[in-house]
Amino acid sequence: MALDAPLRPMAGSAGLPDRRAPGENFRDSVFSDRSLDGSASMSRWMGWRLRLLVAFALIGCVGLLLLARELAAPLHIDASWRADARGHVELVASPEPLLRPHIGKQLVQLGGQPLDALALQRSSRWLTDDAERVHHRDLHERLFAAVQHENVTLRFSDGSAVELQPHQRGFVGLPVMFWALCGLALVLYLVAMVVALAKPSSRNLIYAVMALCQAGNLLLIAVESTVDFGLPPPLPRLDMPARMAFDLLTAAAMVNAVCLHPRRLPGAGLIALGAWAVAAILSVLAALGLLAAVWWWAQGGMIVMGLLSIALLSWSYRIEPHPFAVVLRRFGIVTLVTLVLLTAAVALSADLTGASYATISATGSLAWYVFLASLLLLVPFMSRSQQVMREFSLLAAISTVATSLDLLFVAVFSLGQFASLTLSLFVSLGVYSGARQWILNQLLGSSMLTTERMFEQLYRIAREVEAHPERTPALLAQLLRDLFEPMEVSLSERQSSLTRVAGDGSTLLVPVPALSGDKATSRGSITIRFAHRGRRLFTHDDARLTDRIVEQLRRAVAFDKAVEQGRSEERMRLAQDLHDDIGARLLTLMYKAQSPEMEEYVRHTLQDLKTLTRGLAAPSHRLSHAAAEWKADLTQRLAAAHVALGWSCNFYDDLLLTVVQWSALTRVLRELVSNAIAHAQAQRVDIEFTLAADQLQLTVSDNGNGRNPRAWSHGLGLGGVRKRVKQLGGAVEWREVAPRGISCRVTIHDWSARA
Amino acid sequence: MPVKVLIVEDNPVARSFLCRVVRESFSDTIVITEAGDLETARRQIGPVSDAPPSNDPFKLILVDLELPDGNGMELLAELSRYPATKIVTTLYSDDDHLFPALQCGADGYLLKEDRFEVLVEELQKIVRGQPPLSPAIARRLLTHFRGGAPDSGPTPLGAGFLSSRPMALGRGAPLDHERLTPRESEVLTYLSKGFTIKEIANLMGIKWFTVNDHIKSIYKKLNVSSRAEAAVLASKQGLV
Repeated sequence: MALDAPLRPMAGSAGLPDRRAPGENFRDSVFSDRSLDGSASMSRWMGWRLRLLVAFALIGCVGLLLLARELAAPLHIDASWRADARGHVELVASPEPLLRPHIGKQLVQLGGQPLDALALQRSSRWLTDDAERVHHRDLHERLFAAVQHENVTLRFSDGSAVELQPHQRGFVGLPVMFWALCGLALVLYLVAMVVALAKPSSRNLIYAVMALCQAGNLLLIAVESTVDFGLPPPLPRLDMPARMAFDLLTAAAMVNAVCLHPRRLPGAGLIALGAWAVAAILSVLAALGLLAAVWWWAQGGMIVMGLLSIALLSWSYRIEPHPFAVVLRRFGIVTLVTLVLLTAAVALSADLTGASYATISATGSLAWYVFLASLLLLVPFMSRSQQVMREFSLLAAISTVATSLDLLFVAVFSLGQFASLTLSLFVSLGVYSGARQWILNQLLGSSMLTTERMFEQLYRIAREVEAHPERTPALLAQLLRDLFEPMEVSLSERQSSLTRVAGDGSTLLVPVPALSGDKATSRGSITIRFAHRGRRLFTHDDARLTDRIVEQLRRAVAFDKAVEQGRSEERMRLAQDLHDDIGARLLTLMYKAQSPEMEEYVRHTLQDLKTLTRGLAAPSHRLSHAAAEWKADLTQRLAAAHVALGWSCNFYDDLLLTVVQWSALTRVLRELVSNAIAHAQAQRVDIEFTLAADQLQLTVSDNGNGRNPRAWSHGLGLGGVRKRVKQLGGAVEWREVAPRGISCRVTIHDWSARA
Repeated sequence: MPVKVLIVEDNPVARSFLCRVVRESFSDTIVITEAGDLETARRQIGPVSDAPPSNDPFKLILVDLELPDGNGMELLAELSRYPATKIVTTLYSDDDHLFPALQCGADGYLLKEDRFEVLVEELQKIVRGQPPLSPAIARRLLTHFRGGAPDSGPTPLGAGFLSSRPMALGRGAPLDHERLTPRESEVLTYLSKGFTIKEIANLMGIKWFTVNDHIKSIYKKLNVSSRAEAAVLASKQGLV
């Protein structure tokens, strides 16, 4: 029995704080208080709790061994029996040589005591009739006494008699069933202890009561499984009251638990008190023998309290959509339905005699108890693993349905045992294979993000995070919202180091990672509550999934950054090489030029190269800076050519120009001014640059001798201008101005849209 | 007595072109020494000491930035006290390359791709004490003097004349020699916006040569403050 495994979940799922008032929305403060309490008190309390737990475990084991020793002692006839269809006890097999010849015969007397099929019915809990129960008790007491002799005579229906010497069983002789059930009971007992010790709150104590009651039930069944004829003395009288009390107390505890968890309901105290009172009164009356039709009372009490629990859970979910309520209600319904089925089967088969009745009441009830016990074992681990819970609950539900169906077939259609078992197995397997996917989808939430969309989102967010690191929390919250469909998402300043589940699986706390490298800044955490619109619990699998997603996001961002840096380094290198190598060659070429035209041409090329390399090296240019440089550059050039410059530049918004915009505008301006100097022999050039209402207008006018622009041959220069303007999505036109000169107007609409 | 000029330039074609420019610019008798790399240049200059240099030093030194055995800036830094007019000749016109050169003590810069006449005019201006100052470099200067801190790496976007960079902590008010006068700041601001010297003179209501004096003063302050910074840095690192 792993001691450390259950202790950890218990610290987390030890219940919500009891002090929470109805309607109060508990928040991070509560989690943090609790987690702080948890870590601080862990070391302080762990010591004595562990010791106490070990003590309890020892007590349990020693008690079990003592019990086994006690059960090994009574005398016993080594043979297996079964009830036949007519209600007689038939010998099936025996290792005793004396009994061998009598296999298949009906036993009518044992040690002088007459017996019937009821002798094989070990427990009186599932006997519907009071009179029958009294008979059962007397029969078992008599038979037990009869076997505890040196020699016992067995008389069969054909008149033959065998005298046998009963002997002690010994430990080895105890059936496997006994050990299995004892083991389960022990585990349940230990879990109850762990839960109670981990945090002795009222809620956990209630759980412990339920678990202990079911452990008691299992133990009684285990003890009864060891005997063939006649229960040892206290059992025949103790069995019914004890087991009824266990069942009713479990039901009452259940009612009490759902009153407090997942949230405290209005009037919780009264409802719980009522349930406990009903359970106690019924148990006491049954123990005193004052209750008629005890079985009906017991079953009725359980079913009514089960219905009440389910109603309370529905109510709780309507007040606050805690997914735990949904999960509990689901389990509650399965348990209750199987209980009702079992009750119906037992009640219907009460009229039958012999085999079928015994099978139904013994096997059916056993299956139900084991199911309930496993369910109880599961509850504390609910938020540990969605996978385990899902598979287990499916299997448990299906096997229980199979058993119930089997019993129902036997009871209602009087089918043979084998036939009904086969039939029910087939039916339930069919149901399992057919409904499994659907049920899994229901549990999982069918609208989980598909992997494809997930990746798309991941990379989109990675890019956005890179551009706006300050928006990381909001983007991550959006991703988590799509992933888990929670009802609430909130950001808090609190720091935590890793993703964790809080509030019994209703809440997931995700620390916001420092995705863009600056690890120093505190980013708080995201709290998401009520997964899948409050229909699903967060599990530790979800927490790990979130961690993995965050890790992927981190990698995507880092990757994007590396790519961007690589590109920029590559551009810089390219720019450097172009500038150094080609630039130097062009310079040499320019100095060696044969004619002024050639020299000017190469100079132009060199300037274009410089613009190109600068564009490569710098990703963007501020408009005001670019305009200042344009002006300084043009002033110098025009001054050298003794041309006057009229410069007017108007813009309201100091935009960032992209490389394309910057280099296109730079080259257009240079080209137009070159034309004015070289071809038009102008004395003055006027440049107007206006960027307003998202429209750029650039006019370059000269007073040179250019005329009739339509007739111009568009050589390299003007063609280049047209190309650049088209690249920016604009239009260019040349026209004559009075009295002389040419004006070129570049217009670009929707400037920012072209960026 | 002839004027001695040193031209450090690895490209022979460019070197002879620059020789022509120098000869065209000055009417004095000129003796030009050419150097293809830093090594030769250092040999030609001889030992540089704080004492007054040997008789007949170079009056004008043109240094290319990209040289086979190093960067021209190294030579400029070594010659910070050499009483010559030091001019950077380069193909790089961007402030990222030019500004460090000016910090190293260059008195001006010439862009090699400019036309012969332009170069002659520019060279004459620099020697007369009218160094060029492009808007980008004016922006860098503003940032440099406003920030007070050593200016390393490219200027961040938007840190131009709109810069509101806080003073570096642990550093008192900048000394007088590293602070610009309001007039100088004004001139720099206008320059950074692309105004010409004449326009600035008109705007400020002063003579154009006064604007020029401001620019010269700014150059000097940059040089001095850079040297002071280097000294502070060196003493911090235990080099001095």
